[in-house]
Amino acid sequence: MSWKHYIGEKRVTKERQYELIRTPVITEKATLGGEHGQVTFKVPMSATKPEIKAAVEALFNVKVKAVNTLRQKGKIKLFRGRAGRRNDTKKAIICLEEGHSIDVTTGV
Amino acid sequence: MEVTDIKNEGLSHELKIIVPAEDVETKLKAKLEEVSGKVSIPGFRPGKVPPSIIRQRYGEAVRGEVLEMAVGEAMASALKERDLQPAMQPKVEIQKFEDGEELEFIVKVDVLPEIDPVDFKTVEVEKLKVAVDEEQIEKSLADMAENMAGSEPISGKRKSKTGDIVVLDFEGKVGGEPFDGGKASDFHLTLGSNQFVPGFEDQLLGLTAGSDVSVKVTMPDEYPAENLAGKEAIFECTVKEIREKKEAELNDEFAKNLGLESLDALRTQMRERTESEYSSVCREKTKRALLDKLDNLHQFELPGSMVGSEYDSIWQQYLEAKKNHPENAEDDEVENPEKFYRNVAERRVRLGLLLAAVGQRNNIDVSAEEVNRALIAEAQRHPGQEKKIIEMYRENNQAMASIRAPLFEDKVVDFILEMANVSEREVTLDELKKEIEAEQMAAAEKSQPKKKVSTKKKAAPKKKAAPKKKTPAKKTARSAKKDKNDE
Repeated sequence: MSWKHYIGEKRVTKERQYELIRTPVITEKATLGGEHGQVTFKVPMSATKPEIKAAVEALFNVKVKAVNTLRQKGKIKLFRGRAGRRNDTKKAIICLEEGHSIDVTTGV
Repeated sequence: MEVTDIKNEGLSHELKIIVPAEDVETKLKAKLEEVSGKVSIPGFRPGKVPPSIIRQRYGEAVRGEVLEMAVGEAMASALKERDLQPAMQPKVEIQKFEDGEELEFIVKVDVLPEIDPVDFKTVEVEKLKVAVDEEQIEKSLADMAENMAGSEPISGKRKSKTGDIVVLDFEGKVGGEPFDGGKASDFHLTLGSNQFVPGFEDQLLGLTAGSDVSVKVTMPDEYPAENLAGKEAIFECTVKEIREKKEAELNDEFAKNLGLESLDALRTQMRERTESEYSSVCREKTKRALLDKLDNLHQFELPGSMVGSEYDSIWQQYLEAKKNHPENAEDDEVENPEKFYRNVAERRVRLGLLLAAVGQRNNIDVSAEEVNRALIAEAQRHPGQEKKIIEMYRENNQAMASIRAPLFEDKVVDFILEMANVSEREVTLDELKKEIEAEQMAAAEKSQPKKKVSTKKKAAPKKKAAPKKKTPAKKTARSAKKDKNDE
């Protein structure tokens, strides 16, 4: 039995769905993906691909083909001469099935 | 673009204009493109923001601009197509302006009436001419001499009497406390001039030079300084000198004092000045008579909006005057002020339009030089701030127009006078005065009953117009002119 067995789609509750999808990423690069049916969101560091898939499908009422995630390390910033670190972030690039789309600018 | 007439009555038109959605859309897109080069949105390099995002962020703001532009363009072309000359800024009512739908609006516009000036040769105007009276000049010279009168100290111990000038130091106290402005030294006070608080001068009578006296007076209740009004004041006075008035003699010496060569030169100058004064009064009168005639001779329809705005401004002035000087209001209370002022407004608009039309048709124009001259003259009326005034006028187009308008009006009036059938009549000064007075009386009386019958004719508003320091037409000439500039 693999670990995936435990994180089934059923276990993403309504509350968790809203926590998972934090904000759309609106940048030049992200909008470029829009032409290929890809949408980008910021998600919690703890989010997993199946979770994200389930959440997006439930919230936006679309069909997701695949989810790619990446971890972006926080920048190191100096504050009064002390080095500090911004939080790491996780982005999820979601590829939708053909014929589906999400208007990221309108919000949930 | 689709234009339909809703109303077409006389001068007022109402048009309904529909601009197709595509036209609006192309304009919007062009505008958005323009915007996209300028804005910076985080996450995008300048100029690389996708149109959809620009639209989402700036769409509303740009739509406003586009609306204005589209309405302006459509209106201009519609008016041109129908050959309408708007008298004032048309009123626009937007009926529908939804995203992706056609733009629909209604334009309410008053057009300029067709003005057909009468043949000015048929206009008869009487021009008055006042001969300058030698006696008058002598009299004013004598007046001048009296005003220029000098004074001489009195030798010996004569006592002061009314008409003398007393040179004195004084210090005033109220309740033992000196007050502001209550102290002066070497003050020249003419006894009997009532320059000071009543009772003060009386107590200085019968004194000799060098005497001290304390003057007790009660300040009048309406004294300007509130803390002093109605109080008892004691003035410690020292009379230094008593001077007697001495009239200046009318001779060359007198003229030289005034910076002229001889008495004859002074006389000529006086004559010239009086002459120009008379002639300007006569000119004013002639002009008024002419304007009255023109007003009567021309009956064309007036654009309602122009009359309305003129009326509003007059009404505003009237209310203002009533508020500021409630005591004056009763003197010239008109029975039905609204109607009265509406008539005034109509007259102003009519004459303004007429003069503007005549000026335009005959290529009468005010040159920049003339404007400059008038501007400088205006500036000189405020000594010390000439530069400021000139600058203010230069920067403000409307103010410039207000300088221009009277010049223009004068020129047009001159032009008409040249063509008109002018008869001259010599009158004396007294006759002229009487005539002007009689005219004013008649105007005041005539205006009353006339309004009740509500004839559309002028109500001869001279008496009203005069205190406002404007001839009736001036205002409209300006506004008419301004409108033209606006186009």
